[in-house]
Amino acid sequence: MIVATDMTNPGYSVLFALLLFIAASVWLGTMAQKAMEKKEFLKGFFLGNRGLGAWTLALTATVQSGGTFMGFPALVYSHGWIVLLWIGSYMVVPLMGFAVVGKRLAQLSRLTDSFTVPDLLRERFGDPRVGLVSSIMIITFMSFTMFAQFKAGATIMKHAWPGSGVLALSEDFEATPAAVQPDAKSDAKGDAKADAKGDATTPVVKAPAKGIDRKYYIGLIVFTVTVVGYTLIGGFLASVWTDLFQSVMMVIGVMILVCLAVPMAGGLEQATRTAIQHTSPDIAFGPGYNNDGRQFLTPGLALSMFFIWIFGGFVSPASMVRVMAAQNTEVMRKSICLLSFYNCLIYIPLVMTCIAARTMLPHLDKPDEVIPRMSMLVTEGLPFGPFLSGLILAAPFGAIMASVSCFILVISSGLVQDIYVRFLHPMATEAQVRRATNVSMIGVGLIAVIANLDPPKYLQALVVVSSSGGGAAFTIPVLMACYWRRTSAAGMLAGMLVGFCCYFGLSSAGWLQNWAVSVPNSSFAQSVIQFLGPDPKIGVPGLFRPYYILGIDPVVWSLLASAVAGIGTSLITKPPSDERVARFFDVPQTAKIL
Amino acid sequence: MSERHELPLLKSARREALAAMAIWLIATIYSVGYCFLFGYGRKPESLTFVLGFPDWVFWGLILPWGVCTIISSLFAFWFMVDEELPDTDSN
Repeated sequence: MIVATDMTNPGYSVLFALLLFIAASVWLGTMAQKAMEKKEFLKGFFLGNRGLGAWTLALTATVQSGGTFMGFPALVYSHGWIVLLWIGSYMVVPLMGFAVVGKRLAQLSRLTDSFTVPDLLRERFGDPRVGLVSSIMIITFMSFTMFAQFKAGATIMKHAWPGSGVLALSEDFEATPAAVQPDAKSDAKGDAKADAKGDATTPVVKAPAKGIDRKYYIGLIVFTVTVVGYTLIGGFLASVWTDLFQSVMMVIGVMILVCLAVPMAGGLEQATRTAIQHTSPDIAFGPGYNNDGRQFLTPGLALSMFFIWIFGGFVSPASMVRVMAAQNTEVMRKSICLLSFYNCLIYIPLVMTCIAARTMLPHLDKPDEVIPRMSMLVTEGLPFGPFLSGLILAAPFGAIMASVSCFILVISSGLVQDIYVRFLHPMATEAQVRRATNVSMIGVGLIAVIANLDPPKYLQALVVVSSSGGGAAFTIPVLMACYWRRTSAAGMLAGMLVGFCCYFGLSSAGWLQNWAVSVPNSSFAQSVIQFLGPDPKIGVPGLFRPYYILGIDPVVWSLLASAVAGIGTSLITKPPSDERVARFFDVPQTAKIL
Repeated sequence: MSERHELPLLKSARREALAAMAIWLIATIYSVGYCFLFGYGRKPESLTFVLGFPDWVFWGLILPWGVCTIISSLFAFWFMVDEELPDTDSN
């Protein structure tokens, strides 16, 4: 095996690690197939027979994604210690993720015997419109996010090829510096805002450039066949197990990195002092270091992040489906504990490593390369060093595979259960449903390939809107559906639509403002600036920066608007029938007599 | 009209949701508040370190992060109660 011999050539180690990830995923897919064969097909395939344990629930339901290893470290390297405040709400993400709606969603999904979120909402309110609107929203949101992830996976495979000279296994390395600036959650598993803000997981999709070549197409095909293949074989469990696998690999990688990097930088305090010397004192304070005068994290945006990560996370369709699949309430309790410690072991050490990187690699041109470069630097000379750094470099690829697999599942479950079975063929046999599932998953894969052959330039805007828009649209309605008897179907629809429209409106206003700032000579642009005001110079730069009212992120305003619309509409419309409410809120009469 | 009895899981889930929200609110106010007061607009020479972290990072983020991790674990094992989930086969 050719090993890494210099800081720009990772040799075959990365390719080897990627192949290892692929092989492990396919193996997990076949294992998952055996595990799910026991019960009826749909529930087994899309919900793993409601058998998720604490580890699979904790380490897959929420946060890590490709972005955890790419966009987030780049932010720390660029802006300093303030990024720990940016991600600070992760201290309560596990608690909020499982304790707020977890038990109740698991109960409702069983009471309604549903395994998709739209199915659950439709049954809860007895109104097909609620199911249809939520289904369309989820399928649309997830499709845009997923299509962009295909490009990420393909680009990583392309760059993993030995001799490519590219270290950051980041899908956006070819983009122009302006385009790759994180636009403030990824999903990542939080992934929502990192995605939304273009950091962590937000793949920056741009027009095909010179760099898209045969290797890219081969990467796209290999990536698609692998992910669609193992998801097709193993369904939900395959997706969850591969997610768990990459989460464990990530924490191992982070622990190795921090234990080696901080001592090499002379300790944490010395690393900070050196970082200050190399940049400015701003790197140790708020609102963060920025060499263009922009304020990265104002107090208003810091407050916003404590809403965005929390409320964007626990109602994301991917998270809700996993909670619905939990074995029992005990696994949720254990998951809170597990994920709390896991987050401590991931985010704080990652920040420490990237602060140390400012000492060891003070002037990186591409901050996205910070983790790959650090992994190669600190493992140099260690036994199995190249293999170790290969695994660390391949972690984002594993994360992207896991995310895509989950997206394919949620989208095809929506197509099969919410559209095919519900509207087209209610009496479908199990064999027909199985065939429809296979066709829909292969179809989704094919569409993703076609979309990525020539990705539209502004797909990124849709990705940002899709990931944060989901949180804005579903948080309040889901809370209402879980806990408020008076919630009506019209209230649900109003909450979802107003939340999303508010977010979309404020995002569009931000894009318009950015455009207007970039064309100062246009009279229309001048009137736009007069109306919306000049660039506030806060947050992360980029074309897709949203419009901040009072310096607060649009997600917060959208949650507020969604609550007003949802509650107000419920109160002025006809209340749901007592019978339906009692079914989901009260102990059945017969049970009381017994 | 017969008296209505809420599902036990609903009652405990609502209680836990409110408690979790309260913890989130306190964590948010404390962390954002502390960092705003002591992490912004400081003179560089006033910076001190606690266990290698800038003082405001330690007291405003690392310490509450640790406390929240412990509280979350206590919440999970002592406050949150297990409830029977309905059997879907009977629905």
